[in-house]
Amino acid sequence: MRQPIKAVVAAAVAAMTITACGASAGGGEQAADNYPRKELDWTIAFGPGGGNDIMARTMVDILKKNKLYPEDIRVENREGGSGATGWGYLFGKRGDPYAISTTSGSFITTPLEAKTGWTYKDFTPVGLFATDNAVFAVAPKSGITTWQQWVQFAKRKGKVAVGGISTVNVDFILHAMLAKAAGYQIDYVPFNEEGQLQTSLLSGALDAVVSNPAELIGQLQAKKMTGLLFTGTRPLASLPTIPTAEALGYKGLPSMPRGLILAPNVPASVQQWWIDTMKKVVATPQWKNYLVKNQLTEDIRWGADFTAYLQRTSTDLESILRQHGAIK
Amino acid sequence: MDILSDLINGIGNAVSPANLLLLCAGVFLGMVVGVMPGLGPSAGIAILLPLTFGLDPTGAIVMLAAVYYGAMYGGTITSVLINTPGESATVASTFDGYPLARQGRAGPALVMAAIASFVAGTVGTLLLTLAAPVTAAVATSFGPPELFLVVMAGLLMLIVIVGKNRLLGAISALLGFALATVGIDIGGGEQRYTFGSAQLINGIDFIPVAIGLFGVGEVLWALYNGGHLERLQYIGVRAGGGRYWPTARDWAESRWAMVRGSLLGFFVGVAPGAGATVASVMSYSVEKSVAKKPEKFGKGAMPGLVGPEAANNAATSGAMVPLLTLGLPGSAATAVLLGGFLMWGLQPGPQLMDQNPDFAWGLIASMYLGNAILLVLNVFCIPAFASVARVPFRVLAPIIIVLCVLGTYTVNGSIIEVGIMLGCGVLGFFMRRFGFVPAATVVALVLGPLAEETLRQTLIISRGSFTIFLHRPASLLLVCVVALLCLLPLISAAIRRRRAQLRAERPVETDPSKTNEIEV
Repeated sequence: MRQPIKAVVAAAVAAMTITACGASAGGGEQAADNYPRKELDWTIAFGPGGGNDIMARTMVDILKKNKLYPEDIRVENREGGSGATGWGYLFGKRGDPYAISTTSGSFITTPLEAKTGWTYKDFTPVGLFATDNAVFAVAPKSGITTWQQWVQFAKRKGKVAVGGISTVNVDFILHAMLAKAAGYQIDYVPFNEEGQLQTSLLSGALDAVVSNPAELIGQLQAKKMTGLLFTGTRPLASLPTIPTAEALGYKGLPSMPRGLILAPNVPASVQQWWIDTMKKVVATPQWKNYLVKNQLTEDIRWGADFTAYLQRTSTDLESILRQHGAIK
Repeated sequence: MDILSDLINGIGNAVSPANLLLLCAGVFLGMVVGVMPGLGPSAGIAILLPLTFGLDPTGAIVMLAAVYYGAMYGGTITSVLINTPGESATVASTFDGYPLARQGRAGPALVMAAIASFVAGTVGTLLLTLAAPVTAAVATSFGPPELFLVVMAGLLMLIVIVGKNRLLGAISALLGFALATVGIDIGGGEQRYTFGSAQLINGIDFIPVAIGLFGVGEVLWALYNGGHLERLQYIGVRAGGGRYWPTARDWAESRWAMVRGSLLGFFVGVAPGAGATVASVMSYSVEKSVAKKPEKFGKGAMPGLVGPEAANNAATSGAMVPLLTLGLPGSAATAVLLGGFLMWGLQPGPQLMDQNPDFAWGLIASMYLGNAILLVLNVFCIPAFASVARVPFRVLAPIIIVLCVLGTYTVNGSIIEVGIMLGCGVLGFFMRRFGFVPAATVVALVLGPLAEETLRQTLIISRGSFTIFLHRPASLLLVCVVALLCLLPLISAAIRRRRAQLRAERPVETDPSKTNEIEV
């Protein structure tokens, strides 16, 4: 009895989606009504315990707990080459609606520094959920407590030594943009590891650092470091006294994307399925709690809006890095 | 007093039946992971971290601390039995551990290594409990100039490892530095020798190179020497035979090595970066300089195994100081642990110990208990492990090769690294054949990039001036230490000459414990 009705509905929906998404949808067989039918292959392009890993595992946990994805989800850490391995794997899954991955800053920076064979443009965007912003911090020993004092100090010193993680990264760009706008000069000291960056500041070798609030919050709350500026649009909930860059008169500072992407050329119906599902995920208390705990700024953009954001950030980064000769 | 009661409370928390079970499971799993060539503590923790998501923070950290120690010891087992270090901190354990195994003394070697780890763990935990606030202050004085000097101290030890083949040793070390240049140059963002491959932008990892040079290289070398034809001389090693246990002489020779290694390891371990590696290599060279028969080193001298083992274990406790008191990870493995803290909902930072005393002291206590369980477990397991030495080489060789391939692949899931590993295996064979020093290559590969990076950071900060090393108090102190280390072999040679003279004049035995204390 029910069988034929289901088939008719399926055919109708399939016809509708095919017309809706036109020729661009390669795998027309994967219509919305029989998605998802299979195990999901979730790539984490970094090792366990890192920022990307924690975000992905939180999402998977929410999907499972709220039964939003009915089949199994297989999570795998495919790390290597600053994300090149994991996202390269996803890139190779062209048209496969069951391959998915979370993004972070390296999603933009790695293709800028190495021949990855892919860029952000190649993937099917689901959405941006939050951005990683940075805190500009100094050691309390310096006696500096406000951004204005810092600028004065920097101008008086002539050239200040400032640190961040690696060269082809938002940290360098933030330092360069802030110094240019405020009119002081910097020597940028790149580090490989967060721990060494922070000890260098505490030891007095560096004048200032920028880093993620999640990395610095312990130091800031314990008053072992002083936060002078936060690059997000709104002040941090846990550290509301640190003024935002905009409040201090600096606009257009880049941030790093925490989003979700599918393999290239995935049918629009599947993309829509994920957008609808993730709308439920980001509304859960568990997700809100994750954002607060990890000091992320919520910034939701779906589908094409996400791509537009990626494009803007990537072009900004590329042009500034080129100006400074960090990439060719 | 207060602190000791905290520790006792911590032990109280950690010894709940459920946690003890997690502790045993962790040590065992860690050991199993660590016995795979290439999988050391950081890989072990990373692999087993997802298992702990469902646990409460204390249970999770208890298990991970256990995994850490288990994996560390697992690495020692492979270093001793098949000459393959599980991570850079156990490279120094192969120098004398493997020769000992080849002499049929794998059992005593492993028992002594376990005892050394236990002693060092005890010393380390006590120092961590009593001296954490003071050592934390030391850790915050470590900027790039200080790190550079610590790494330099480690590199100076290459001279000791190399021994008499100065020229071949220098070439071996330079090969390591050359391999270390591959990848993105941290200073300028340029790619070096990556040939456009995204797989190589993070450089050549230590693990495939070490497994290739040591593990596969050794198998090839043994085959070349007809190892597959040999009737093994290890027969007669039986569980009840008493040859598993160290002799009184082993103990007499190495008890001070244990103490020296523990102290050295703890304080070097506090320095962020390559603490455990530098500490173990340093300890080896210290032992060789103070030994009465330095010519035995490299040919199966017990202190040459015990010192580095104690040092790398104590360095683990040392690395916990900045992690717990400052929220700063000092090593790859503690960085993964820090990620775990966040996952369990803890906020790492200077306030961790105040805000979550149960957790912090539970961690310290479980590190200690982990060492104790490791020792007990070993007493039962060593006969089984040591019997590996009795397996005919023609059976063992293919198994080692398979394990090497599997271990390398598991770490990053990269087939390119497997290729690098096999290539290094062939290289390792020829290095042995012509008297080069694979250990120097591996140590240079690990420490080279750190030296380069920290020196460049230092010179950016000082705008090219070397006087920065003398202006910072901590750095000035380290300059003195490095200078002393350079002079150490000369001093000890002078002492040895003097002693020989004295002995020639009046043939009286000098008290061995006294002469050993000179360099502490």
